[in-house]
Amino acid sequence: MSTQQLIQAEPGPSVSVSSDRSPAPVIEVAHLRKAYGTTVAVDDVSFTVHAGEIFGILGRNGAGKTTTVECVTGLRTPDRGEISVLGLDPRRDRRELHERVGVQLQESAVPDLMRVAEAVELYASFYREPADGRELIASLGLEDARQTYFKHLSGGQKQRLSIVLALIGRPEIAVLDELTTGLDPEARRDTWRLIEGVRARGVTIVLVTHFMEEAERLCDRVAMIDHGRVVALDRPAALAVAATTSKRVRFTTTEPFLDELLLELPEATAVAHHGLEVLVAGTGDLVTAVVLALHRAGIHAEDIQTETANLEDAFLTLTDEANHSATNGETR
Amino acid sequence: MNTSALSLTPRQRRAFGLLVGSEIKIAIRRPVGLFVAIGIPCALLVIFGSIPATTRPNQALGGISFFNLYVPTLMVFVLIAVGLAGLPQQLSTYRQQGVLRRMSTTPVPPSWLLAAQTTVSLILAVVGIGILVGAGAGAFGLALPHDLGGYLVSFVALVLTAAATIALGLVIAAVAKTPQIAQGLTAVAFYPLAFFSGLYVPIQEIHSQVVTDISKVLPTGVGFTALHAAFGGHGPGVEPLLVLAAWGVGATLLATRLFRWE
Repeated sequence: MSTQQLIQAEPGPSVSVSSDRSPAPVIEVAHLRKAYGTTVAVDDVSFTVHAGEIFGILGRNGAGKTTTVECVTGLRTPDRGEISVLGLDPRRDRRELHERVGVQLQESAVPDLMRVAEAVELYASFYREPADGRELIASLGLEDARQTYFKHLSGGQKQRLSIVLALIGRPEIAVLDELTTGLDPEARRDTWRLIEGVRARGVTIVLVTHFMEEAERLCDRVAMIDHGRVVALDRPAALAVAATTSKRVRFTTTEPFLDELLLELPEATAVAHHGLEVLVAGTGDLVTAVVLALHRAGIHAEDIQTETANLEDAFLTLTDEANHSATNGETR
Repeated sequence: MNTSALSLTPRQRRAFGLLVGSEIKIAIRRPVGLFVAIGIPCALLVIFGSIPATTRPNQALGGISFFNLYVPTLMVFVLIAVGLAGLPQQLSTYRQQGVLRRMSTTPVPPSWLLAAQTTVSLILAVVGIGILVGAGAGAFGLALPHDLGGYLVSFVALVLTAAATIALGLVIAAVAKTPQIAQGLTAVAFYPLAFFSGLYVPIQEIHSQVVTDISKVLPTGVGFTALHAAFGGHGPGVEPLLVLAAWGVGATLLATRLFRWE
């Protein structure tokens, strides 16, 4: 039995949807669905983003994140569902939406032979009340690259330019898709500081990412998307806590024993053997119960480790749970 | 491109101006396109304009010089170079690199980039053809249209040929998923079209009914015939102009149907 199956055997953690509704909603998505041919990219996605927050959309590659933001920003027409952004219909009021929502997408660029300052001046001319391009370039640390061709920029500089272009129209909302993918850890941390700086200017941020650490560090709330559905939506810490309702204990024994010895315990829900290494999942005071049970049977346990959950565990648990119920218990 | 230039606000006009300006800068920074569209025809103009045998009236060509026959061919060449070679290459590159996708998230739709590219192609064509006519007449004794009507018909023929080649370029840009495919399609279309403009040998000299028939249908053959007639002082008649217009309209409709922004 693998760890994967072990987690699936656990009862699903209860996931609460955040109920604080203090600031006004700026994005409302209800029952969004979008399919490409027979491939369902987004099955049923609903969420609300409040003014001034950093809202994370978290999921694996291919989970439906990009399609969701493409629908929200009016680049794609949903098959079903309602979307309202700043009170606008993203398809019908597309031009007005793009005046007020800055978007940075994956796989998008400016021409190779365009200089940084030229790109910023050009994009500034697209907007009603653009920001000061020179100041924005400086505040994103691109001052020395003003006259550099786009194709000669480093990965980090390209990302920073795309943030400049997403902010050049003084947007009320900035949608940033996989902003730190491909960046080294230092550049990633720099980018996080930038995003916090942008929020400090009063811009609401929708951050699409598959990095748990990024979501945990930056986001006020996170929607976890898996197979085109929202499997959880809450503050990152709350989601991690939800995942800790199931605990895991890992240890090794000097001699083999039967799983039933531990499965009889009310605290244990699943046991996995890997040679002499054992992984037990369960709830409550699992460690004590396991150690006592082994002791009674005269088995000595060593290297006992308990695992505390973080957002990544929450994600794995929740998405596996979603997958588990979607496939009627079949394992992948 | 539903918005005509007249309905643009001053802000939008400035944005379009900057877009055209930046496309011109990019064209100058990667001068291959300029070389093909302006350099090659100008070099050919100088070469054939400097050879005494080609500038003398030639009985085999109906009493006119080879040079006077060849300049309209070079004008058509400029138009296929900007429309068929430059435009689809640039647009398919922009699509592949995500330049069109990036613009689609701004208040300015990516169709503006297409319009700006087309504008740059037209500017290149005006420069190239201007040099051909100016240098040809000034330095090498090119025979110009005799009257205002001749200039007018020449202009109409040029505009219609340009519309046809640019629209064909847009069809290639619409069909080609990558710049490499665009390059291949351009090569397939370029050489036959250049041939029927008379680039390699005057079509009249081939004396083949099949070749003549094809040249009456292909936009470059028709474009050459119309321009040659207009410059020679005897109007081309309505038929070639209608054929050119049909190419322009047909290819534009096809490109509009097939074009994908992503």
